[in-house]
Amino acid sequence: MFVIRLRFDKGTLLLRGEVGTPYGKWDPRVGCYRAKAMHYRDVLTYLEESGVPYRDEVPDFPPLEAMKCSVELRSYQRKGLDRWRRAGLRGFVVLPTAAGKTYIALKAISLLRAQTLIVVPTLDLVDQWRKRVADYLNVEAGAVGGGENVVKMVTVSTYDSAYLKAEVLGNRFMFLVFDEVHHLASPSYMQIAEMYVAPYRLGLTATYERADGRHALLPRLVGDLVHTMEVEELAGKHLSSYDHEKIYVELTPEEQRVYDREMSVFRRYLRVKGIVLKSVEDFHRFIMRTGRDRNARKALLARNRALKIALNSEAKLDTLAKMLEAYGNKKILIFTLHNDLVYRISRRFLVPAVTYQTPREERRKTLGNFRSGEYKAVVTSQVLDEGVDVPDASVGFVLSGTGSTREYIQRLGRLLRKVEGKRAKLVEIVSKETVEVGISRRRRRKRKTGKGE
Amino acid sequence: MLPSELLLVRRRSGRIWPRYAKLSSENLEVANLIIQAYSRHIGEKKNVLKEFVGELENMGYDYRFVRGLSVLLDRRSVFKCNVKVDPVDLRRRLFQATGRLGLPTTPEQRTRIVESVASEMKLTAEMVEEALYADLDSELVLAEFNPLSPQSLLKDYNVSLTQTLLFNSTELDFTASGNWQRIFYAVKRLGLIYEAYRRGGFWVKIDGPASLFKLTRRYGTALAKLLPAVIANPGWTVEAKILWKYTNEICDFKIESGRHGGILRKPEPSAVSYDSVVEQNFAVRFEALDSGWVLRREPEPVPAGRFVIIPDFSFEREGVRVFMEVVGFWTAEYLRRKVEKLKKIEVNMLIAVDEALACEKLAKLEKHAKLNIVYYRNKVPLPPILRYLEEAFQHVKEKQAQFVRSLPVTFVESVVNYEEFAARIGVSTESVRTALTEKPPQGYVVLPNSLVKKDKLEEIGKTLEQQMSQTGRLLLPEAARIIETEGAKDSSNVLKALGYKIKWQGISPETAEVIMPESKQTEKDS
Repeated sequence: MFVIRLRFDKGTLLLRGEVGTPYGKWDPRVGCYRAKAMHYRDVLTYLEESGVPYRDEVPDFPPLEAMKCSVELRSYQRKGLDRWRRAGLRGFVVLPTAAGKTYIALKAISLLRAQTLIVVPTLDLVDQWRKRVADYLNVEAGAVGGGENVVKMVTVSTYDSAYLKAEVLGNRFMFLVFDEVHHLASPSYMQIAEMYVAPYRLGLTATYERADGRHALLPRLVGDLVHTMEVEELAGKHLSSYDHEKIYVELTPEEQRVYDREMSVFRRYLRVKGIVLKSVEDFHRFIMRTGRDRNARKALLARNRALKIALNSEAKLDTLAKMLEAYGNKKILIFTLHNDLVYRISRRFLVPAVTYQTPREERRKTLGNFRSGEYKAVVTSQVLDEGVDVPDASVGFVLSGTGSTREYIQRLGRLLRKVEGKRAKLVEIVSKETVEVGISRRRRRKRKTGKGE
Repeated sequence: MLPSELLLVRRRSGRIWPRYAKLSSENLEVANLIIQAYSRHIGEKKNVLKEFVGELENMGYDYRFVRGLSVLLDRRSVFKCNVKVDPVDLRRRLFQATGRLGLPTTPEQRTRIVESVASEMKLTAEMVEEALYADLDSELVLAEFNPLSPQSLLKDYNVSLTQTLLFNSTELDFTASGNWQRIFYAVKRLGLIYEAYRRGGFWVKIDGPASLFKLTRRYGTALAKLLPAVIANPGWTVEAKILWKYTNEICDFKIESGRHGGILRKPEPSAVSYDSVVEQNFAVRFEALDSGWVLRREPEPVPAGRFVIIPDFSFEREGVRVFMEVVGFWTAEYLRRKVEKLKKIEVNMLIAVDEALACEKLAKLEKHAKLNIVYYRNKVPLPPILRYLEEAFQHVKEKQAQFVRSLPVTFVESVVNYEEFAARIGVSTESVRTALTEKPPQGYVVLPNSLVKKDKLEEIGKTLEQQMSQTGRLLLPEAARIIETEGAKDSSNVLKALGYKIKWQGISPETAEVIMPESKQTEKDS
C-alpha cells in the first residue's frame, strides 16, 4: 500500500497523495503537491526518512548498455574527478581549454554507469562529443538537437534543445554533464538544471565568471566549484607554450577620414548630453536610450560604422597577406568579429570559412579536412570560439574581436593542445589610433579580476 | 512573430502595450512602398532589396517598424540560390587546390588557382567568382513574392507585435465568444495548464506547470501561439502579465475585440469545422428534423470542478439545455473517468460512443450502462437521442413546474404573463403554464398565455362594449389598442375569453371586425 505517488509532469514532480514534503508546494490548479524536478533526490530521501510509503513513477530511463572505458587520466584530471566525487557527485571543474576536460567527464560516466545527458553549446560540439563517446566509452551516443532526436544511455544535446525539450527529457537521465557550464547560469538555460531530475551533475568550463554575475547561481544548479587550474600552471607541461604578438596597422587615408568623421558624430552626442560610457552597464543604458531618442540612435550607428572601419580595415588584410606568406607551412586559424570580414578573407585568400551560415555538412567536412591537413587554414567568426578541437593548429591571427577575456582565452585555447615540439603563436592585428586599441587591451586583462564581455 | 529587438512598446505606470500601427494613410503608404519594393525586386539579390528597405528607415519611420514589415514580407517570399553550379562543391575544389598549391597571397597567385578550377569544371573565371558564395543568405535571389494589401500587412504586423510581446508573458487570461474546442486543444498540445473561472462571463487563466514556483517566461512562446485562436472570435478580451526583462518589472497588458479587433488580422475564417464525418453527418440529419431543439456546435465550456468540459454539441429549447459528446476510440476506464467528471456538474449530458471502436469488451460496461450512453455504428441514431431529449425536457419541465407550484407567491398584478414570469424566476415558460393552468390562483381567469384577474376582464369587456355602442362597430386594431391600454397583451385570447369573435374582411387585420355572436348577445341581455 502506498500513500504518495510521485510522477514526472512536464519538467516538474507531482506528488499525488495526502502528504506534503518540504520541497512540494500545493498546486490548486490540479489539486496536488508539485515540486521542482531538481529536488527529485531530496523528495525521495525525505519520504524514505519519514517512512512514508510511496510509489515512484518518475524514471523513464533508457536501457543501460555495456561500456568499455579507455580513458587514462592525467594527474590533474584525476584530482578534479576525485574532488567531484567527494563533493557528492556534484560540482564543476575549471580547466583551461585543451587541458582535457572531456576526459574527466567520460571517466565520470563510466564510473557512474548511469544514463547521461551531455549538454553542449553548439552542434559542432554535439558531433565532437559523440565521436569521443564512441572512441573512449565504446558505446554509440544518442543525440537531441539539429534535427536529431534519439535518446540512448549516453545522449548529447545542445543547450537549446535541452531547454526546449525539458518537459519530455527531464526524467530520462541520472547524470547531467554541462560542457561550457557558464552558459547554464543564463535565465532560460538555468531551467535545464531545474527541470531535470538527475541527481548527479558535472560542469566543465575554462572560465566560469560571467559579466552579469550570474555565475553565483552555479552552485545551486550543478554544485560547487570543486577544482580549478590556470593556463600558466599547465603551459609547457600539459599544454603547448605560446608566443603572443601584436601588430598595429594604420587605416588607409580614406578609412581614416571616414573613421574620424563618424567618431566625432558619436562623441559630440555624448558630450552634448553629458553621457559617460565607462562600464558595460553604462553602455547598455545608452543602447536602451537609442530606442527612444532618434539622435542617440544616429550616434550609435555612427559609432558602429567607425568601429566597423577599424575592425575590418583593408590595411589588416594586407598585413594578413604578409603573415600568411611567412607562416604558410603551418596550420592557421584566422578569427574575426564580423561575418563580412570572414567572407572577404575567404574570397581573397581562398581560405575555407566557417560561420553560423555554413551548412552543417560542409562545416563537418571543412573541419575534417583541416584536421587531416588537406586544408591549411580556416577563417571563422565566433562559432569556433568554443570547443572545436584541432590538435595541431599552431598559428592564430586575431583580426578582430570583442573585449571579452573569455573569447580571447578560448581562441588561444584552440592553439594550445599539446603536440610534441610545438610552440604556438597568436598574432593580434589592431588598427592604430582607434578604439580597437582599447578593446585589444581589455581582452588580455588578468582573468581573475577581469570581467568578460 | 518578430525578432525581439524589433518589438515596439510603450510602458506607463505598470501597464504595457505594443505601439500598434494605426491604419493611417501615412502607415498605409509605407506598407504599400515596401510591398511594391518586394514586387519590383523579384530577380534581384536579397542584399539589394534590404538596402532599399534600409533607405525607407531614413524616411522618419522607426526602423523597428520598417524592419518588422520587411520580416513579415520575407515570410511571403521565396529566396533562391540562382547559379547553375553547386557552390559547396565549387568551394571544396578551390580550397583543395589551395591546400595543394598554398594560400594565394598575391592577386596573380589567386587568379592562377581560380582559373585552374574554372577549367577543371568547364566554367569561366567570372562564373566561379559569381558562384563562390551564391548560397549565402544575403546573396540569394528573390524568386517569388506573394503580395497582400497594405491594410492586411499592417494588421498582420499588429498581430505579430502582440505575439512578440507575449513571448515575455508569464500568464494569460482571456474570454472569448466561441472556438473553445480549438483553444483548449491548443492549450493541451502546448503543455499549458488552464483554470476556468467566472468574472462576469466565462474566463480562462493559462500558464504552465513550472509557473507554480516562480514567474517564468518559459511559456510565453506557447501563450503567444494561442493568440490567433482567441482573436479568431467576434468577441474576446485578452489580458496578460508581462515580465519586462530590461527592468524586471511585471506589467499588465490588455486588449479587447471592441477596441483592437479592427487593427488585428484574424486568422483565415474556418467556418464550423467538424472533428469527424460522424459529427457532421449527425448535425445535418438532426437539423433536417426541425424538432424544436436548437442544435449548437461547440457551445461554451461547462465548468466541472477544476476542469471544464467542452461538449461537441448542445441542444437548447426554452431554456432547457442538453449536451452531447461523440466518442470515437474508448476504453471502459476512459468512459468511467468521463462519467466521474460529469458527476461533478449538474448538466444533462449524452455520450454517443462508437460500438466498433471499443477497446474493451462491452459487457464490462453493462453495469455502468445507465449513463446516458448511446451506442452507434457508422452513424449516431436519432430516435434514442430524441427520446432522451424529450425525457430531459419533460423532466426539467416537471421539476420546474413543481418549483413554480411550491412558490409562495400571491399575485397582485391584474395580468400575469407566463413568459415574463418564467423569465423572472428563471424557468421555462412551459413549466409556468403547466403549473398555473393546473391550479389557477383565486380570482384569476386562465388564458393560454397569461392569467387575467376576473375584475380586469370584466372591465375590459365593458370598455369594449361602450366603444362598440358609440361607433356602431369595433375594428380589431382598435380593440387591441384598448386591451393593451388596460395592461393585457394577449388581445386575441382576451377577446376569445370575453366571447367575441373576429370577422375577417380579407387578410388584413386593419379591416377585421370584432363582433359578439347572437347567442352570446342574448345570453348577456337576459
